[in-house]
Amino acid sequence: MSVRMLSFGMRLCSAVTGLLLCFAGAARAQHVLIPMDDEQGNHLKAYGLTYAALLAGGKAEWLLNYRGGSFLLPDTPEIRRRAGLDGVSFEPLDDGSLSQIRSTMANGNMDAVPLEKAPKIAIYTAPYSPPWDDAVTLALKYAGIPYTPIWDDQVEHGELAKYDWIHLFHEDFTGQLNKFYISYRGAPWFVEQQDRQLATARALGFPNIPALKKDVAEHLRQYVQNGGFLFAMCGATETLELAIAGEHVDIASVFADGTPMDPQADEKMDWTRTFAFRDAHVEPSPYVSSMSDIDGHQANVPGRRQPLGTFTLFDFSAKFDPVASMLVQDHRSVIPDFYGVTTSFMRRTLKPGDTILAEETGAPWVKYIHGDYGKGSWTYLGGHDPEDAQHAIGNPPTDLSLHPNSPGYRLILNNVLFPAAKKKPLKT
Amino acid sequence: MIHARAAAMLVVLACAVTSRAHAQGGSEAYSRAEALEQGSKFAEAAAAYTQSLASDPASVPALLGLERMDAELGHLEQFLPVVERAIVAKPELAPLREAQLRTLRTLGQRTKLREAFERWRRDSPGDATPAREYSRILIADGDVRAADSVLRQAQKDVGTGRGFEYELAQLRAAMGLWDLAAQSWREAVENNPYLDQAATFSLVSAPATARPGIVKSLEASPVTVPSRRVLASLQLMWGTPRDGWESLRILPPDSAAVVAWSEFATKAEEVEAWLVARDALAAAQQASPEPRALARAAYDALRGGDAAGSLFLASLGERTLDSATAAATIVPVHLRALSQMGRVAEASKVMDAYARFLRPADRPPLDRVLAWGWIRAGDITKARELLAHSDSGDADALGWLAMYDGNLKAARKSLRPDVESSPEALSALALLARTRADTAPVTGRAFLALARGDTAAAAAGFEKAAAELGDAAPLLLATAARLYAAHHSEAQAIALWSAIVDKSSDAPEAPEAELDWARALRHGGQNQAAIEHLEHLILTYPQSALLPQARRELDLSRNGIAPQS
Repeated sequence: MSVRMLSFGMRLCSAVTGLLLCFAGAARAQHVLIPMDDEQGNHLKAYGLTYAALLAGGKAEWLLNYRGGSFLLPDTPEIRRRAGLDGVSFEPLDDGSLSQIRSTMANGNMDAVPLEKAPKIAIYTAPYSPPWDDAVTLALKYAGIPYTPIWDDQVEHGELAKYDWIHLFHEDFTGQLNKFYISYRGAPWFVEQQDRQLATARALGFPNIPALKKDVAEHLRQYVQNGGFLFAMCGATETLELAIAGEHVDIASVFADGTPMDPQADEKMDWTRTFAFRDAHVEPSPYVSSMSDIDGHQANVPGRRQPLGTFTLFDFSAKFDPVASMLVQDHRSVIPDFYGVTTSFMRRTLKPGDTILAEETGAPWVKYIHGDYGKGSWTYLGGHDPEDAQHAIGNPPTDLSLHPNSPGYRLILNNVLFPAAKKKPLKT
Repeated sequence: MIHARAAAMLVVLACAVTSRAHAQGGSEAYSRAEALEQGSKFAEAAAAYTQSLASDPASVPALLGLERMDAELGHLEQFLPVVERAIVAKPELAPLREAQLRTLRTLGQRTKLREAFERWRRDSPGDATPAREYSRILIADGDVRAADSVLRQAQKDVGTGRGFEYELAQLRAAMGLWDLAAQSWREAVENNPYLDQAATFSLVSAPATARPGIVKSLEASPVTVPSRRVLASLQLMWGTPRDGWESLRILPPDSAAVVAWSEFATKAEEVEAWLVARDALAAAQQASPEPRALARAAYDALRGGDAAGSLFLASLGERTLDSATAAATIVPVHLRALSQMGRVAEASKVMDAYARFLRPADRPPLDRVLAWGWIRAGDITKARELLAHSDSGDADALGWLAMYDGNLKAARKSLRPDVESSPEALSALALLARTRADTAPVTGRAFLALARGDTAAAAAGFEKAAAELGDAAPLLLATAARLYAAHHSEAQAIALWSAIVDKSSDAPEAPEAELDWARALRHGGQNQAAIEHLEHLILTYPQSALLPQARRELDLSRNGIAPQS
């Protein structure tokens, strides 16, 4: 057996050597360009390749707006090997070619952002939640980017500070379990989820789930204020804001905390504390599967549900708005919309300082927003799964190997690499 | 509610150019109101909308604009007398009534809401819209029972059930109230059987946890054909065709049931649930004898691997049909069943018994069936004799006989690729293209063992044949490995894959062997070993057409994508 393994190891080495010799110019160049336009064979794994290069201590550059937001990596055997395995297209660059690229970039709406450090990533997800029900988890697993799952007890014990980037998904920070009570109160998975969350809340000294989630929301607010990067999708966007604004208001229905919602909740909400939204109307009915009027599509409320359209990414100035530019790097500028517990954000509920990254033209809602808060920043993307527009409970998980060039999933991965960027002084 | 207003706003903007408010005297005020609203000057916009309404009290765009502004300003109660005046002016305009219902709902005035609905209903006899709008509000508020009763009453008032159950069912399905949706769909299809497809497609997306409730609703007493048809279709689409047939089997055997069974059999055949289709067709045939249905059932049994069942159905047909009809319908499948079971002598007797009833054109294909039967029985001589005396002119069968004899030269002349070539045929054709040898008796015996269904002997034969045909050794070893794997002899398969990868790394079978090897390792839980092989494959054969499959296997082995169900 050991002889066979040795023989196999030797074969593998020779295969790598053979592969390397196959590429144009047997001698290595100094850099490889990872194009992110339509020439790229696997856009999603290209992010994993770049992350791996940073994790290995290498330097990288993000060439904003150059061929779909390409990456420039050092030319090493390991990078070539991983690119070959993952089907990531790359082009070796000598100094002359690189100079030409830099000259092209200098004359257009393009800029190079140095990427220096692989950010430490945490995903806020229940330990018992299914592993394939979260677009960010799917994207990170597929791209091969490591992350740490954290849950309420880690947050309550102050572990957020360990991470550069926190992701939230469709957690309901109002503690009402997305109001699935109305439809699924008898479903075994719902009962189990409710029982477990209640047990967690009590173990941590809270009387009910809404009380625990409000406290978790406050920890997340402080995390951003102290310099953390927060990315949220789906229902986590809207409910995090409601929980922060409603810190001292009962915004949970009777089924969640045993007391009815405060009828004066709207007047009592403190929107000065939130990241993105203001003056939203909290949905008072426990029987309506909606949290507030922040969401434009109201996918789970039959009478209000709005049809899906497409959203358009803004074209920012790479030299003057590098942060916003990084978040919208894509090989498509118009992307089909997708539903979620929260699908979009009504314009009238946005704070004046919010940066709109993507919107549906002519619609009263936007899709993708970003902003600074304290020393940190937040980004919200509405919807559940960019490749499963009508995602419903019980649907099979998305197989990203069938969508390696997904423009929607690229938006998620832009957020993962964005904290790796070296901060440059703003030019405005 | 806010979103309903937002949607209304879009309507307003879309029709602003052609709206009456724009066309009449209030157009200037309306345009001003719109601009003020866009600038978030809600109080001023409200005044301008009111001014626009002064010239046309029932202007829908202006009225909806005022509704939005009053909502923003928090004095929606002031909107009620305005909308009331508009309704008095133009009671036939549904958007005015809808605005009234919306406002009363937002204000929580449920008694007045009910009164407004009743009034609208009285003013529009025979119109389904009031009940639909009011029931939507009730459902959105979670008052499904009240919505139910509103729609039921409306059905009586309008005099037809068409549309109401459909809408209610759709709404319930959209809300995820699957049990109730199933109940509504049941009522809908029982009144309007043509809705069965709509019901199926509405309910099919229910999550697995909700399916038992749907089944319970649709199978509840009394048993009816429409509800059972929907249930059976759902179960077929949920991947449980046997359950689907059990749901239909209970129907009393009348003409409606026969139609349902036949249709279900067709759907089952489409998903290759052959034995379920067999049962449905057999039941239909029993209730309403029809020779073609019986023959179809027998063929389905054969396709499903139930040769004995096929034989039973065929024998049954021959007992009940006249000889000419039997010869045209059931005898061919009877011969196939016997041939597949190795009872070729018996098949020959059946053939002889019906000889005078068979048309000349029917005879050659049946000769081929018998010839293949003799081949399966291991009697090549009889198969050759039969084909020699037949007019079948079956070059393919003769080519196979040559192949089994190890006469590759003759086989090469007769065997031709076909769009429906079996895996065995593809292996034979690939071998003939690969080797320059003209004779290979060991290889011929291996193919014969395969034709007789003896997988283990065939695998061993192909492995042995690799020594006989050195120029095609990797192909023969890969064929043997595939058969070992299919026979659950993984260790023998891995030994052969390893030999191919180690000793024939330039052969086209090498990447294929390594991929199969990696798959076997992953299925055996040895993910790390599978990863090493897949990485070797991808890096060694970067131009291989198998790379997409290899990368997907690599993702699965690394747990990078969801496991396949």
